[in-house]
Amino acid sequence: MSALKTEFGGGRGDLFQLAMKTGFLTALTFGLYRFWQTTRFRRWYWSAVRPGGTPMEYTGTGAEKFIGFLFAIILLALYLAFFNVVAMFITIRLSANTPGILEYGAAATPLALIPIIFMARYRARRYIMSRSRWRGIRFGMSAGAWGYAWRACLYSALTLLTLGLLWPLRTFQLEKYLTDRSWFGTARFTQFGSFWQLYGPLIPFLICFWGTLALYGYGLRYVLPAMLESISRGIPMVASNAPAWPFLAGNLGILLTFLFAVYYRVASFRVMAAMKTLGDGLEFDIHPRTRTLVRIHIIGGILTNLATSVAATIVIVAAIAIGMGIGISLPSGPSASVPEPSVILALTLLFVISLVVIIVFYNVFRQIFITFPMVRHVAETLEIHEPSLLSTIRQRDRDDTRDAGGFAEALNVGGAF
Amino acid sequence: MEYAIRNQAFADKMAMSYAEFFDGITPMVQRVSLRVSGQGEAAVLELKNVETHAEIRWRLADIRQVPDQAREDAFIFTPDNDAPARLVIREAEALRELVTALPDLKTLGAPKGSWRKMIGMVAAAVVAFGAILFGLIPVMADRGAELIPPETEMALGQGLFEQVYPAMGAYECTDPAGQAALDRIQARLTRGLDLPYPIQARVVSEPSLNAAALPGGHVTFHRGLIEAAQSPEEVAAVLAHEIGHVAHRDGTRAVLRTMGSFGIIGLVYGDFLGGSAMAAVSQQLITSSYSREAEERADAYAHELLAREGISPGALGVFFQRIRDQGLDMDLGVFQHLSTHPETLTRIEASAAAAAVGFTPGDPVLSAEDWAALQRICGGGAPLSGGTKG
Repeated sequence: MSALKTEFGGGRGDLFQLAMKTGFLTALTFGLYRFWQTTRFRRWYWSAVRPGGTPMEYTGTGAEKFIGFLFAIILLALYLAFFNVVAMFITIRLSANTPGILEYGAAATPLALIPIIFMARYRARRYIMSRSRWRGIRFGMSAGAWGYAWRACLYSALTLLTLGLLWPLRTFQLEKYLTDRSWFGTARFTQFGSFWQLYGPLIPFLICFWGTLALYGYGLRYVLPAMLESISRGIPMVASNAPAWPFLAGNLGILLTFLFAVYYRVASFRVMAAMKTLGDGLEFDIHPRTRTLVRIHIIGGILTNLATSVAATIVIVAAIAIGMGIGISLPSGPSASVPEPSVILALTLLFVISLVVIIVFYNVFRQIFITFPMVRHVAETLEIHEPSLLSTIRQRDRDDTRDAGGFAEALNVGGAF
Repeated sequence: MEYAIRNQAFADKMAMSYAEFFDGITPMVQRVSLRVSGQGEAAVLELKNVETHAEIRWRLADIRQVPDQAREDAFIFTPDNDAPARLVIREAEALRELVTALPDLKTLGAPKGSWRKMIGMVAAAVVAFGAILFGLIPVMADRGAELIPPETEMALGQGLFEQVYPAMGAYECTDPAGQAALDRIQARLTRGLDLPYPIQARVVSEPSLNAAALPGGHVTFHRGLIEAAQSPEEVAAVLAHEIGHVAHRDGTRAVLRTMGSFGIIGLVYGDFLGGSAMAAVSQQLITSSYSREAEERADAYAHELLAREGISPGALGVFFQRIRDQGLDMDLGVFQHLSTHPETLTRIEASAAAAAVGFTPGDPVLSAEDWAALQRICGGGAPLSGGTKG
């Protein structure tokens, strides 16, 4: 049998309707509907992705997502309260002579959330996998969120300490950890290869990043003494005749570093996808192009902003018309009395509503112009080789993840949908 | 309910339809022919494998459709809410007929009982958040405030003073004559008081009508308040109120409470649009409820202190009334809850009531020239006219 190609079926018009409807429902319910909105988006996108012509299916529900979120925020609130109180007492103990430590204590809370964020990401992925199906067969993921969290912390620290030199180790080890715990029915995914294979795509990033650092270091060598002196003596810095070109070149370097970081992420994803197998040697390919993704981001960003500006203009004009229509006009002149509380309230409400409407439009346009083409591009590059091997796969049991991605939702690390 | 098939012609037509079937056991596609048979509740959809002729029946009443499909060229059905088996119908004709035959076709939905579970979880979350924010954290912060050595508190307050006001674009007003006048009021109010640390009263060039008690006895008047006051007694009354905060170490409590509740509110809003703004408003509501009690206590403290020094406790009320007349208190609907101070009217009444109890009038708080010096502490000739707000 020949390889199964993937088609993407679904138009922007339908997605626009779905995004508008759910966007306004979310705004009207003060955000409560967002769990159902996310679910409906996932169902839509999953059904648009059709490997071998058969749509994927997302079976999660908004209700379980909402319940999972509540479950997660209760646990997280307890964790944070406990952590904050402990940090508070420790800093009070230590603060006898160094008052600044109280502020460091407050800064420690985000630090305490880092492992939790990695844990949340793993659990969110596990939930999504457990609610995904293709050809009636469930995907799934084994438990292992904490193992992922400590590995992610360790490899992130190594990457930071080596200024990016060990980034491929982090990418590879974490991806392998995730892949080796993923299943389609009774067949397990396996990540082959080694992190050395990711150094090729990393080289442009490393050259630019280290080059930029060197440029700034070189530039600062001249400026730093003057800067330190101005800080210690509390006087404004005098303009020095230090060369400006290292900074100008460094700014260009930052832009290139960023672009090559994106290239590395896409390319490493592609390299590792080619080295995954499912079950007894079923291979597949997924090969998105960096330049396509960057183009989608740039053009999509411009379109999103343009469309939002147009929508915002209409909303603002409408808001002003409504404001004048119901007789709201601020008393003018110095002799005018203070406006009635009800007038201020009405104006504030009008302002808040206009703002919310504009944000809803922005999210809708982002969905249409960025998320949609991205998903389509990535999906269309998926190919499954040797589909006859699928016949060895059987159904797996339903996996109940109680938090249903709620930790990621609470910590705002959810992603586009 | 009526699941009957409308007519035989339809059933016959269905018999000619084909679809893709996934049995939910293997990922292999089976080609099946479709036929509807039976009437009413007993009506079933028969799926017959075209190769093996194996037959499966789905009760029409139980069939669910998978919703939110991206493109209307493949419709997906499932025998009931739980089963993993799927039927993919691509032939438009068969599809239309099946949908007309099933006017009550339901979409695949959440299992029953999830509403009850949801309400239960909402209640649990409300209780948990209430217990943490209004029970655990205030109690722990109050306990923590008692453990902090006064020197630390003084240094903390100084640190905050040096951070907060420059960030607002304000500087400390240091006119010596004005500062001397302020010190005179302070000396009169604090004599014989047993405070954890000395009061350090200062004025900053911030035009709003406000005053604050930072941790460690650092009391700050905003320039707007000094210039809007019509008599030194009003400034003395506000200072007495702030001394009340210092005596109760409210500044330190507030810092520790903020520290303790850090990040907890943000959880509720997640990435909802405008979530961070909502979180900020909620944080403000909680802070305000924390401080309402502290404000009332500081008011009561001020009334007592003023009466002892022969200054009318009503002066505090006079000052609040002035703010009110200028329309500067946010005493409107929703905003009322956002202001950290209790409803101004209530406080004016409390102040008047304290004055009515009676006190022995003492010496004036400041001489006319001292008062003029205090009003000019931030320089700039004539005081701003009342009601100007930055």
